[in-house]
Amino acid sequence: MTTVDTRGPAPVLDNYLTHSRGLRSWLLTLDHKRIGLMYLVSVLGAFFLGGMFALLVRTQLLTPEGLIMDGDQYNQAFTLHGAIMVFLVIIPSVPAALGNFVLPIMLGAKDVAFPRLNLFSYWLWIVGAIFFVLSLFTGGLDTGWTFYTPYSVDQGSAMAGVIPALTGAFILGFSSIFTGMNFIVTIHRLRPPGMTWFRMPLFLWAIYATAIIQVLATPVLGITLALLIVERAFGIGIFNPVLGGDPVLYQHFFWFYSHPAVYIMILPAMGIISDLIAVHSHRHIFGYGFIAWSSIAIAIFSFLVWGHHMFTSGQSELVTVVFSLITFSVAIPSAVKVFNWLATMYKGTISWNTPMLYGMGFIFIFTIGGLTGLHLGTLGTDIHLHDTYFVVAHFHYVMMGSALIAFIGGIHHWWPKMTGRMYNENWGRFAFALVFIGFNLTFFSQFMLGSQGMPRRYASYVGLQQDVFQPYHIASTIGSYVLALGFFITAGYLIQSLIGGRRASANPWGGRSLEWQCTSPPPHDNFSEAPTVGDCYDFSVLRWDEQEQGYVWREDVPHPQQEEVEAT
Amino acid sequence: MTSLLMMLAAAGTSTEATFWMPEGASTVAPDVDGLFDFINLICYIFFALVVAALIWFAIRYRQRKGQHTFEGGPTHNMALEITWTAIPTVIVVVMFILGLQTFLDLRTSPGNAYDINVTAQKWSWTFQHPEFAVTEAAELTVPANRPVRLLMGSQDVLHSLFVPAFRVKQDVVPGRYTSLWFEATQPGTYQLYCTEYCGKDHSLMLATVHVLEWDEFQAKMGKLAREYEEIPESQLPSYALTRLYNRCASCHTLDGSSSTGPSFKGLWERTAEGTTVFTDGSTLADLQKPGGVYDIPENYIRASLVNPQAHIVQGYTGAMPSFQGQLKERQIDALVLMIKHLDKLVDDQGNILENPDLGSETPQEGAADDNG
Repeated sequence: MTTVDTRGPAPVLDNYLTHSRGLRSWLLTLDHKRIGLMYLVSVLGAFFLGGMFALLVRTQLLTPEGLIMDGDQYNQAFTLHGAIMVFLVIIPSVPAALGNFVLPIMLGAKDVAFPRLNLFSYWLWIVGAIFFVLSLFTGGLDTGWTFYTPYSVDQGSAMAGVIPALTGAFILGFSSIFTGMNFIVTIHRLRPPGMTWFRMPLFLWAIYATAIIQVLATPVLGITLALLIVERAFGIGIFNPVLGGDPVLYQHFFWFYSHPAVYIMILPAMGIISDLIAVHSHRHIFGYGFIAWSSIAIAIFSFLVWGHHMFTSGQSELVTVVFSLITFSVAIPSAVKVFNWLATMYKGTISWNTPMLYGMGFIFIFTIGGLTGLHLGTLGTDIHLHDTYFVVAHFHYVMMGSALIAFIGGIHHWWPKMTGRMYNENWGRFAFALVFIGFNLTFFSQFMLGSQGMPRRYASYVGLQQDVFQPYHIASTIGSYVLALGFFITAGYLIQSLIGGRRASANPWGGRSLEWQCTSPPPHDNFSEAPTVGDCYDFSVLRWDEQEQGYVWREDVPHPQQEEVEAT
Repeated sequence: MTSLLMMLAAAGTSTEATFWMPEGASTVAPDVDGLFDFINLICYIFFALVVAALIWFAIRYRQRKGQHTFEGGPTHNMALEITWTAIPTVIVVVMFILGLQTFLDLRTSPGNAYDINVTAQKWSWTFQHPEFAVTEAAELTVPANRPVRLLMGSQDVLHSLFVPAFRVKQDVVPGRYTSLWFEATQPGTYQLYCTEYCGKDHSLMLATVHVLEWDEFQAKMGKLAREYEEIPESQLPSYALTRLYNRCASCHTLDGSSSTGPSFKGLWERTAEGTTVFTDGSTLADLQKPGGVYDIPENYIRASLVNPQAHIVQGYTGAMPSFQGQLKERQIDALVLMIKHLDKLVDDQGNILENPDLGSETPQEGAADDNG
């Protein structure tokens, strides 16, 4: 990758996109920016696939008998929707795609600590994804993304694609572990002079907290999945009671990873939102210290609440009570983050551009997602709501409406930096409106479906309550079509911007974290001159420059470059 | 607040369906609903505050044309941050305690409960009443205004029993028993679901709950207890089709189409002729030679009910559970007769005929091993 292309006219400004050419220079690149971009394309490809399965699921449920699929087909559709969205999309979305691109630049580093390991993580992701697709052609996968035992290990029950899918998830786990490890070491070791822990943008704190979970929790998933493979392939009794195993033990192992995994999904999203809200409100983030520490606190607490997925599983009642109590303790830091974001907007100067709209959409949706967690954390009401559409609605509000909405917002926020082009803002606002309305129509209906009693993972809903359920299902399906339309329009104007978009200035939004100090797109080594580290949330030193079409340092404020260097 | 609602529930009425909740027909339902409403109220307040602030700030402080420089603004406020941490903390502690109270009520079965044994298997429910020696399938009849305790086990994978109108749910786990109790307050018919994913026909693993006043309940149990004994021989095939087949229906069709198991249509002909092929390549005829295990064809049907794993028909997985002990001898007789005379009981599309013509010789057949 060090071979500089000398053919043709040299670009006016050398950047990471033009630094070297040819497919090889991308596939074997060690540049974190290129790896991030490859992740982005791959993750969005998986998102498309998972989304198509979601549309199949929603279309099926238009009628009580099920419109387009039989039981086996529907079970595969919802399983692949869930498994793809969790393992291939949401978990790698923010850390691996955006994190890879932004983290070293925000930190002021030239790359991550282990660039080769970073490339290896990406290729592991690809191999894992191939295994997932393989499961479709080797007998199908119908266990749900949770692989609950004994269904998944019983040869007579689950379809034959279980082992390829488990292998895929196992490999993806290593991709995630390596990425997390890389980021932890990068943040510890590669901070340049001046970049103290408490000068880091909150996105970095969030990615750091996430990385801790990735490194500590994912191995448990790996071992659990390996045990499943051993049990299914060789009939060694671990989780299957027929062989002397315990199916509830599997649930403990699984959720010991998969609850922290929820925070692998939401913490980076919260990090993006902290930065989006501050930058686009042009206002100092409110309560930096609290937000930073709450990310770490959430990461630690996330390991202690897994049992709240199992209130009806047959686990002991005492354990259930303790898990309910600890679960509520996680609600507090999440709630306070929302208050902090609102306080940041107070008396700000709020730009109504697409990233900010996604930021505000996030606050709206995450508030609903968080509050409905209270119904589920409370024991008396969870018994009724568990495994109904209420749960489906709740976790889509958090994982899709919050984590993925933040991801899409982040893509818009860093799009000028990644591509050097501005997308069309009016199309962006219009697509956001569709996504926002479509999302809420799709998933708010499901709260009522669930509290009325509609169980999840049902291919049909014929019965005494079908007339109650059907209108909500129809509303939800219409919503999903609107949502899909919003995403297709988003894909359209983003791709269009690559060809016809206005060239982006270094700092089109008025950010102060370091990525806005380098050119758009950044040069191969990220910074042509050493960046100045300051308070990344003090926007009073910037002003809009019409000619530049971006924000520049105010002439009436002394540039702190000298002081900064001395101070460290 | 919730204990007050609990007292109201003791009056023995059901609650109407609301925007959020289905009708409530158990003693705990008003309690759960009261708690749900309380949490909803908290949610409405917080949501309104957050969204009002969000919209107000977004409009009031929007960036105006020409606004190109910005104020620094405050970075934190300890008093404010402690306040907005403390208030939610107090609220969730209250919520936890209320939820705990309801949970303990939900989980603590009164001593005088009426026991029912529940067996879950892909994809049907069996309810056994020890007190009356009655077994029901796909229908659960319970007395009103008396605590009912379900002792539940699974024959295969995880299942979960959920009756929305009673606000109760409990997973059914293979290899151990779990239990659940409720006290129905209102006679009527309610839906029972399986809520733990269990495969192909998970969404068809349904049952209907019939709540009857105690007198009617006793009468129905008495009738069910004698049903299979008192049914005349000539009615046995129809009895099997209308009362027993619903446990077979999720896997075995009547119209010849393939499902999880082979269709019942033509099954008797295949059995009598020995043309059925098994997964190991052998045919039923091999086992039907004089002195073979199935020299009487009826024995193959019988074995398929009590020991279905012995021979798996080619093209199918051995998904069928054993019905050993769940069916009385006379019920097995009835099922064998039903399969034998299926062409007279249903039409080509598998629809049940109103007045089947079974001919005159029917009653004597299959009675050889009848010990009632």
